[in-house]
Amino acid sequence: MKKLYEHSATELAAMLRAKEVSAVEITKATLGRMEEVESKVDAFLTVTAEQALQQAQQVDETIAAGKPLAPLAGIPVAIKDNICTKGVRSTCASRMLENFVPHYNATVMEKLAAQGAVLPGKLNMDEFAMGGSCENSYFKPTKNPWDTTRVPGGSSGGSAASVASCEVPLALGSDTGGSIRCPASFCGIVGLKPTYGAVSRYGLVAFASSLDQIGPFGRTVDDVALLYRAICGRDPKDATSREAALGEIEAKVKGLRLGVPKEYFGDGISAEVKTAVYGAIETLKGLGADVVEISLPSTDYALAAYYIISSAEASSNLARYDGVKYGFSGRRDGTLNDLYLSTRSEGFGAEVKRRIMLGTHVLSSGYYDAYYKRAKLLQNVIAKEFTDAFASCDLIVTPVNPTTAFKLGEKVSDPVQMYATDICTVTVNIAGLPGLSLPCGMGEGGLPIGMQLIGPKFSEARLLSVAKSYETAVGGFAVKEM
Amino acid sequence: MEIDVKHIAKLAKLDIPEAELGKMEKELSSIVAMVEKLPELTSKESLLDPQNTMQLRPDEVKPSFPREEMLKNVPETAAGCLMVPKVVE
Repeated sequence: MKKLYEHSATELAAMLRAKEVSAVEITKATLGRMEEVESKVDAFLTVTAEQALQQAQQVDETIAAGKPLAPLAGIPVAIKDNICTKGVRSTCASRMLENFVPHYNATVMEKLAAQGAVLPGKLNMDEFAMGGSCENSYFKPTKNPWDTTRVPGGSSGGSAASVASCEVPLALGSDTGGSIRCPASFCGIVGLKPTYGAVSRYGLVAFASSLDQIGPFGRTVDDVALLYRAICGRDPKDATSREAALGEIEAKVKGLRLGVPKEYFGDGISAEVKTAVYGAIETLKGLGADVVEISLPSTDYALAAYYIISSAEASSNLARYDGVKYGFSGRRDGTLNDLYLSTRSEGFGAEVKRRIMLGTHVLSSGYYDAYYKRAKLLQNVIAKEFTDAFASCDLIVTPVNPTTAFKLGEKVSDPVQMYATDICTVTVNIAGLPGLSLPCGMGEGGLPIGMQLIGPKFSEARLLSVAKSYETAVGGFAVKEM
Repeated sequence: MEIDVKHIAKLAKLDIPEAELGKMEKELSSIVAMVEKLPELTSKESLLDPQNTMQLRPDEVKPSFPREEMLKNVPETAAGCLMVPKVVE
C-alpha cells in the first residue's frame, strides 16, 4: 500500500474530502518524510513545522464545521526561497538576504493561503536564481534524489528535489531561462513555466523582470494543473500580469499537429536524450498526433541574447542591495561608498557578481547599442519565428536539457559550459511562451530525461492536456524510492 | 576585446580583489565572445511587446505598511529613520 507521503496532491485532496485522512495527518506525513530524507537531499533552507501544523489544524476545523473546502486546502506546498513569505525568512539562498524576513506575502502566497494550502518550508536554489545546478546557493548544494552525487538542476533545485523525493506533493519555483523546466527534467517530475504575465510576480525577488515567471512542480500532470489553477490570473500589483484561467484538463491528442524543430536536436544534445524525446514523439503519434518538421533558425543566437538581457536586467534589479534598507550590511566606519562596496562584495556570491559585472558592462556607455539593443531586437526575431511556426503546428516538442543530471562540481569552474545547459529552454522565456517539462524516459545510470512542450501564449490547457495523454499512455511517471 | 574590469567593478559598486581581476576578465571575455556571435540587425521595430502592454493601476492614496514593520529589516535605524555613514561634511 502507498504511504501517505507518496500520494499525489489530487489523491490527497480526494482522501481529505472522503474523510479517509485529516489535514494534520497529511502535514505530519510530509514533515516526517522531510525528517527521513532531508539529510540526503538538502532541499530545504527553512522548515516551518509549527506553522504548517497550525494551518492544517485550521483546515480540519473547516472540515469539522462542514464548510466547503478550496481545492488546495490541507495540501502541503513548499516554496522557493525567492518568493516572499510573511514572517518567514526569504533568503534567495544569498548571504545578502540571510536574515531577511518579509513583512508581506507574495501574491501567490496570498492565493495559496486563501485556499488553505499548508506551507511546510522554504526551498534551496541558486543564489538569486542564477544558475542551472543549485550549486550557487550560499548555504548548501541540493542533491538529485535519483543519484545524490549529482545536481538536481537549477535554479529551482530545491523545488524539484523536494517533490521528486516525496517530501512534498507540490512546490513553487521560478523560471527566468529554464529554472523550473531544467530541474523538473533532471529530477523526473512535471514542471510548468507559464506564459509571461500568467502569474503575478508581486513578492518574487526580481532577477530579470522581462523574463521571470513563477510556476508549479508536481509528480503528476493533474497536480501541476491544480497548483497552476490556484496561482494564475491578473493582479493589480504586477502591471505585467494578465487575465488567465485554467479549466478542467482532459487528455486529448488526436489530430494535434506537433512541431519538431530540427535546431533543438543538434550535435550539442546527447544521443540518449534525442532517443528518449523521439520515442515520446512516436508515442504521441500513436495517440493520433501528426508530426510536422519546423525550423526556428535564430535558436543559435538565443543563448547570447538571453545572457545579455538577463544580466543587464539583473545588474539593474540588484542595485537595490546597498546595505541600507534591508539585508546584509557591510562596514559603517568609512564613507557611504565604502558601505556600498563592502555590502555588495561580501553579500553576493561569485556567480551573482559575474552576472552583475556582465550586465553592467553591456549597459555601460558606448556598449548599449552593440549589446542590449541588439539582443532586444533579436528577441523580436525569435518571438516572430515562434509565431510563424505556430501557423503550421499546435505545439512544439523539444528536449529540456542536452544531457541528464551532471555530477556535483562537474561544471562549476566553467561558466560558459554551465550556461550552455540552458540552450533548449531560454528561447521560451525570450518569446514569453509557456513551456512544460515532463519525464519521457531514463538514461544511463537510471537518470531521468525530460521533454519540453512549448505552446502559443496562454495555451497552458493545451500543454497540460497533451502531457496528460502522454502520462496516461505510459502508465504514469516513475518515482524514486529513497 | 579588452574589458576594463576595474572600471566596470567601480560602476557596479563591487570590490574585485587585485588577484581576481585576471580571472574575472577571462570569464567575462568568454561570455562576451559568445555574445559577439549575434547577427547585426538593422530593424527599427519597437522594443516593446505590443501584445503585452502593461496595465498600470490608478494612482490612489491607500494605507501602506506600518513603519515599525518596515524598519524591522533595516540594518541600522535611529528615531524611526534609516542610518547611513555621514555623506556631507
